Amino acid sequence: MADIGNYQAPADLGRLRTLALGIGGIALIAWAVGYFFSPEQALRSWLLGFIFWGGISIGSIGVLILQYLTGGAWGLVIRRTIEAATRTLPLVFLMFLPLAIGVTQLYEWTHLPADDYTVIHRGWYMTPVAWILRSVIYFILFGIMAYLLNNWSAQQDKTDNHEDAAKFLGYATAFSGPTMVIYALIVTFAVVDWVMTLDPHWFSTMFGFLFIAGWALSCFCFSVVILAYLSERSPMNRVLGKRHFHDLGKLMLALVMVWAYFNFSQFLIIWSGNIPEETGYYLTRMKGAWGYIGVALVLFHFAFPYLLLLKRDIKRKAKWLASLGIFILLMRLVDMFYLIAPNPRIDTHGLGQGAFVISWMDFVAPVAVGGIWLWYFFGQLMKRPLVPVMDPFLDSAIEHGKGH
Amino acid sequence: MEKNLYGLMAEFDTPTQLVDAARKVREAGYTKTDAFSPFPIHEMDEALGIRRSILPYLVFGGGVTGLLLGIGLQVFVHYIDYPLNVGGRPYISIPSFVPAAYELTILLAGFTAVFGMLFLNGLPRPYHPVFNVPRFALATREKFFLVIETADPKFEYDDSKSFMESLNPQEVFDVDE
Repeated sequence: MADIGNYQAPADLGRLRTLALGIGGIALIAWAVGYFFSPEQALRSWLLGFIFWGGISIGSIGVLILQYLTGGAWGLVIRRTIEAATRTLPLVFLMFLPLAIGVTQLYEWTHLPADDYTVIHRGWYMTPVAWILRSVIYFILFGIMAYLLNNWSAQQDKTDNHEDAAKFLGYATAFSGPTMVIYALIVTFAVVDWVMTLDPHWFSTMFGFLFIAGWALSCFCFSVVILAYLSERSPMNRVLGKRHFHDLGKLMLALVMVWAYFNFSQFLIIWSGNIPEETGYYLTRMKGAWGYIGVALVLFHFAFPYLLLLKRDIKRKAKWLASLGIFILLMRLVDMFYLIAPNPRIDTHGLGQGAFVISWMDFVAPVAVGGIWLWYFFGQLMKRPLVPVMDPFLDSAIEHGKGH
Repeated sequence: MEKNLYGLMAEFDTPTQLVDAARKVREAGYTKTDAFSPFPIHEMDEALGIRRSILPYLVFGGGVTGLLLGIGLQVFVHYIDYPLNVGGRPYISIPSFVPAAYELTILLAGFTAVFGMLFLNGLPRPYHPVFNVPRFALATREKFFLVIETADPKFEYDDSKSFMESLNPQEVFDVDE
């Protein structure tokens, strides 16, 4: 209890917060102008920003559940950062609203003829109303997870002894077990609705896992960047040690590999099966400029970070790890672009389906969403102490960081 | 003094004393030294000036060898030795080679890690002179030991012995070969 004041977030976060809002606000105005001229492209770019930044929020819920289940010092030092990221969920829901309103302007399946086999087969499930209702349900379920875990963590801070604090930790841990299963199911349903249905005739059962792994990777990279920034300032310079970054770096390495594993599995299965309703997805993405992006992803989303993260020194230096984190986050954005942009469009502007299209709004929308998201995130981060001050394992977690 | 001497051994009561002594021994210029304790002491590597192991590089080399071997094996089998048309795909179909090449990468990296570790440690080693000191058995329980080998270029029996006694050990032993 007495320690809470000692772990308040540094005041310079306030400056970053204003800066993020300023940049985000300008980009949002630019995007709004773009929407006026080309709603379909604007919404598709917005979806890119939504999936990327919202993915950090939703990925943080997964990592928060994960760290309650596994325990360990890394979980304690990133807990408050990812909790703040999960508390951005109301904002992420607001950012979903343009997509809900513009569902018929963005998704090709809302314009398919009534005799299309997917329309006949999917029936009421694939109608805009059902789609919006499902998304609302996903947000409610994610919201319950984020609310309960954040609430227990906040109540833990208010206790005055470790026995009471351990009780709340126990609630969170018991809740996390079954919730992990539900989380994986909702993410799968959500990304199938939000991203996979952009191409109504293509399907992959691997799709949810691409996002579970990818979003968790985004969450780790983002947390490492934030922690590296905080580690140079009081109070976190008293908490964070080399070994915490070493551990987080190992988890980044693992998730880079898992991302590659899931993506390659999907590719290998479709490549081996070689049946027309599946291969179209990769045929589009292996042609022309899309093909170069695919190769770039293999090299820079997998090989390059993988080889660097093998090195112990890179994982132990906060600045290097954070630089690599920013690089991977950029590649995450490219990966999301590669998943979203080549899908069929309602109005192709005479270019033919699957032609390489990159719009200025693909840059502006992620900046707009990101600026506003970061503004909200920093606000949430500053509200609570930067470490769970009453957690019974806090002292040993801090000690762990000081070791070799 | 006809029997061969392996080195000198000092016994300490606490890990702090051991680390301090190890630091002084290194600063005095001794290089062929070793320390023994009932549990790992993190500062020890730095105190004795032990360099980081080259094992990670060996493991990486093992992994790369496995990868190349895996791809090479499949290219040889599917393209050179016994070309077989599978579903009209090219003989060299890299995607289908990946799982096996990946497994071989892990296998050889794992083998290199285990056997490389044993090799670099000098294990298995059925005999070691330090066990000739009866009290050394306490190294697994509560005492901390520091050894300077006679093979050390700076080793000089009388000088080294008085140097070790200056480190305030419980006792200094001669370790027979």
